[in-house]
Amino acid sequence: MLNFIQDLLHIFYPRSYTLANGKKVREKFNTAPYITILLIALIIYCMQLAGVDFSILRERGKNFWDMLGRMLPPNWKYYDTMKKPMLDTINMSLLGSVFGCAVALPVSFYLSSNFRLNKVYLATHRVLLSLLRTLPTMIIACYFRMVLGMGALVGTIAISIFSYTICVKMMYEYIETVDMGPYEALLSTGASRPKCMLRAIWPQVKGYYISTVLYCFESNVKSAAILGYVGAGGIGQIISGRLNLRRYADLGLVLIFMTATIVILEGIARFARRKLVR
Amino acid sequence: MNNEKKNRPGLFKRLLKDWGPLLGISIGSDLDDARTVEDKYRRYPQPWIRYILFLLFVLCIVYINSITVEYSGVTARGWGLVKASLRGLITPSWKVIVDTSSTGLMHMLLETFAIGFLGTLFGTILAIPLGFVCSRNVAPRWVNLLFLVIVTVIRSFPSIMYGIMFVKTVGPGPFAGVLTMTIGSAGMLCKMFVEAIEDIDKGVIEALDAAGCTAFEKVRYGIIPQLSSSIISSVLYRLDINIKNASVLGLVGAGGIGAQLIFAIDDRRWSDTGAMLWGLVVMVLLIEYISTKIRRRLAADVR
Repeated sequence: MLNFIQDLLHIFYPRSYTLANGKKVREKFNTAPYITILLIALIIYCMQLAGVDFSILRERGKNFWDMLGRMLPPNWKYYDTMKKPMLDTINMSLLGSVFGCAVALPVSFYLSSNFRLNKVYLATHRVLLSLLRTLPTMIIACYFRMVLGMGALVGTIAISIFSYTICVKMMYEYIETVDMGPYEALLSTGASRPKCMLRAIWPQVKGYYISTVLYCFESNVKSAAILGYVGAGGIGQIISGRLNLRRYADLGLVLIFMTATIVILEGIARFARRKLVR
Repeated sequence: MNNEKKNRPGLFKRLLKDWGPLLGISIGSDLDDARTVEDKYRRYPQPWIRYILFLLFVLCIVYINSITVEYSGVTARGWGLVKASLRGLITPSWKVIVDTSSTGLMHMLLETFAIGFLGTLFGTILAIPLGFVCSRNVAPRWVNLLFLVIVTVIRSFPSIMYGIMFVKTVGPGPFAGVLTMTIGSAGMLCKMFVEAIEDIDKGVIEALDAAGCTAFEKVRYGIIPQLSSSIISSVLYRLDINIKNASVLGLVGAGGIGAQLIFAIDDRRWSDTGAMLWGLVVMVLLIEYISTKIRRRLAADVR
């Protein structure tokens, strides 16, 4: 019995052995049990805070399936009304990604630390970027809506800002891992710095840049669908309106089109990535 | 004389030599002829026409798309609002920050964190079996295709729609937010897990099999060590995203900081907005920092 308790206790602190020559040796300290206990405590605390109660789900879960079921014969006549917002959503995300990522490319070169640019400038720009990155697109859109009024312009601006921050971060982290040999070789021939970046660094990061742009575009289509909720144009307005009016058949059509659009866009993105990234 | 004439390249080849570099085509001997570095640099293919065509293509897209975007000028009080909001950001209201009651900043931030954390946890629990079922080296092809279609459909719905539907199902509150995050993250995590599972080295499992291990031992010593670091790093990556997204869910009544934040922006209580935004920024940055640290260490361990 005592041995068993001792074994249990030894989960939390390492055993020590005495060797034949009288030396004391300790086992390696294991942090896993402490991390597990902390995680379990965190999970229980969070469950209480968020009021997670699966019995509610069991009781009323069938409402959810009911809602989904009523969407199924979709109302095809609704197509004329939802055509324009749907196109707006795609346009917003395309335009926003193009603008954001186009501006991001040159900036990311000047933000990566392996060119040894001014450290103060680097630090300030990076801090500003990460502040901007933590704000959800929705909040940015909400803010611009007040200044510029409702419409797709607000959504485009919000998406541009979001893609800019994401793209710059991914690009400068990648550029920092690049092989600097060609760059130094070109620099030693007396070429100017932008010329060296264009000829030595750009070919190395080209593929990654293209796949980053495609990733941004993909994720932006989904976030653009939400933006309409705060009045930034696009399909979001229709989704929330139809749900509140309980017009599930109309919603079914919208969702079919959303799914089709996203599947097609992902297919195009995958195809483009395979063709362009060698 | 005659010999020299014979060696002279034909018209097509000469044209290609002179104008080819503009299109991005270069003849090998041409580059080899270059004597100095500068010479070589000048003769390097310069595909200007390709660049111009690409630029025109992008401009076309921008032009076609810009029809939907109308600029109707700044609203009447626009610039005043910008100034006031910036002042609010610089002078956040300490009353909101210090307040520890259920409408205070700390409680809302913790609730947002709880929604994101639990959503990721449950999403992972859902995504692991889905990931195994969807990967080609575990299940037969038709099962893969069936579940891949389901996962794609789940993934393509915007998360705000799940939010509204769950609020209608289980009532407003953070639990609806947790469910939304669960469904939203399960789709993407499943996609990442499939990539990890399809990369598994089967040799290890065969070796364990040859050593006479049981099925449990094969999973414990053959599969888990190969998967754990990539699974943990994608879960941590998703945790970042979820905590950021959880701050928006409040808009549809699914708990978190979002509702208060958007009310504050709409009511133009700028110093409250400033306080909440700073709180959100600090929390997201802190979690991003920790998760990046852990992911770096995991990546280093694998190497």
